[in-house]
Amino acid sequence: MATYYFNNKGEPATPFTVSGEELVSKGIGIKAIAPDGIESWRLSYNLSTKAVDVLYEGLSEEDAIAKKNADAQTLLDAENVEMAAAAKASETPPKAE
Amino acid sequence: MSNLSTIFGGGTTVDARKEGLPLFALWGGSGDQNTQMNYRVFDSNFRIVSTPWAAVTSTTSNYRFGMLSDASHAYNMSDHSTDFHSDLTTQGYSSWTNYQKSLYQIDQYPHCFHYTVSRGGFPTWQSYHQFTSSMEYQVGWTKLNMVLPEGCRPRRTFVNRRHTMREMMGNSDCNSDYYDYSSHLIDPSPLNYATGTGYNEKNKMLVMIHSGDEGGNTSKSIHIFRSSVCLNEGTTRIKDFFDNLESTEYFTDTWTNQNVKDWCVVVGNNNWVGFGLKQSNSKRYGVFDCNLKGAGVAITGASRQWSTWQDFAGSTTTSYGATQGHQYYTKFQTTWDGTWGMIYSPYYYYGPGINAFCMSIENPRKFININQTKTSRSNPWVAWGRTGFHGGWSDNCDGEVWQTYAFAFDPKDSDHTIATRVYKGSTSGEGAIPDNNSLVGGDFTNKTGVCSLDAMRTGLHGGTHTTNYPMLMGVNWWGNYGSADMSYGGK
Repeated sequence: MATYYFNNKGEPATPFTVSGEELVSKGIGIKAIAPDGIESWRLSYNLSTKAVDVLYEGLSEEDAIAKKNADAQTLLDAENVEMAAAAKASETPPKAE
Repeated sequence: MSNLSTIFGGGTTVDARKEGLPLFALWGGSGDQNTQMNYRVFDSNFRIVSTPWAAVTSTTSNYRFGMLSDASHAYNMSDHSTDFHSDLTTQGYSSWTNYQKSLYQIDQYPHCFHYTVSRGGFPTWQSYHQFTSSMEYQVGWTKLNMVLPEGCRPRRTFVNRRHTMREMMGNSDCNSDYYDYSSHLIDPSPLNYATGTGYNEKNKMLVMIHSGDEGGNTSKSIHIFRSSVCLNEGTTRIKDFFDNLESTEYFTDTWTNQNVKDWCVVVGNNNWVGFGLKQSNSKRYGVFDCNLKGAGVAITGASRQWSTWQDFAGSTTTSYGATQGHQYYTKFQTTWDGTWGMIYSPYYYYGPGINAFCMSIENPRKFININQTKTSRSNPWVAWGRTGFHGGWSDNCDGEVWQTYAFAFDPKDSDHTIATRVYKGSTSGEGAIPDNNSLVGGDFTNKTGVCSLDAMRTGLHGGTHTTNYPMLMGVNWWGNYGSADMSYGGK
């Protein structure tokens, strides 16, 4: 486990003590304990539970990236389907001859 | 008493290059750009400046319907695809639709990596059929980092490679000037590869790094040239600058660098020079005294360096630079007023978020770390207002206004012994103008302080009435300074 500093929104800010302690002393940083070996993009500080969350916990870095990209694609596909349906629904029907 | 000067304009002239406060464009569209799309140009006050619409229809046969002069034609009318709706997460430059939103699209030069956009709102995409042969793709890293007067961006494109400086016409592959300056190198063992060059127009000072190769060689020879002739004057040839040198000095050193193409050189008004680069997933920045020392004096880096090299103190994760491809070289940009500079690269892979050093141009020893940790739905960063930058946010605007990460500095603050003040905003009016006397922003310790950016609402609806992820685009001319429309007149 290692110390990590987050900003007040729970986003990763710095792993460095000097810089992190400055943030904390000014009330714009949060000091927390984070698991070792997890890249910072997967770390966030949960303001409700007051603990560090790990995105895609249990997955390796490689698998986490694959999952993130897959999730983004799934979301995009769903949005495209939804928009296509909405566009079709809004089309003006042709006038009867 | 009148004279010709006062009759014809009062004796003061505005630099012809000087633009009004920065503009940016937003492109919002549904996934297929076939039913809804919106494209507008905004000023630094987030007010609309222009829109390129001729007419709007909604058919199933007209992609980019109704847009005047839509020049994204090239080979098949949609070279960079018809879909700017896609997310950028880990994709590189050839995933055109995603990479449009990469931080790497925009630097201080008026053209962008994939396109240019006029103030009137005409975007022109480069053809991807020859894209990998282009200047920006292959050798954009040889461009000079320019420190210019207020409101000016580089209107001449000088590049430096080996022992030769050339002038290019914009982002083309067309030479218009050439000069081999090797006879002016005074290092008795000059290194062969120019790998980072900065120019300050105020003190007509050109500083260049030479390395032992164009890869990761750590040997460095730094030359400092001062001339009585400005490199950017309209009639100046590169040769004229070197023919009129007033002093030349050099020093040698050994600098850690993963890839020498990432070096940026910030020549300060006080003759201190900042050198910075993306270094693996982190960054480094160091400052050296390039004031005139005299012949044969201070020829080692140690004799000129202020303090120590600073590794990036903010959050880092896997991110890519010139090691992964020369086109991903570390970028440099300045605020509109030219008082603050920024050496920057993505937080994540090829484009989202930002890891940056921002430094005073007056005194490059004054600098802080800037950090934003997005891993998706990003956008590039552009100069904003007088003394700031904004960008980085392309989240869905269906149901809320477009947001951006905006931050500004004090243009008069150049004292590296005191903390640096950064002004920010909020996602609400009460947050931006609170019912107390608190600073909305922060004061950050010089060198090690980390400023994490916050998103703020702009009042803009970003795109269409349905799901959209607005793309922020750079504009190649922000309008004449002081023109009638004060919203972008810079006054």
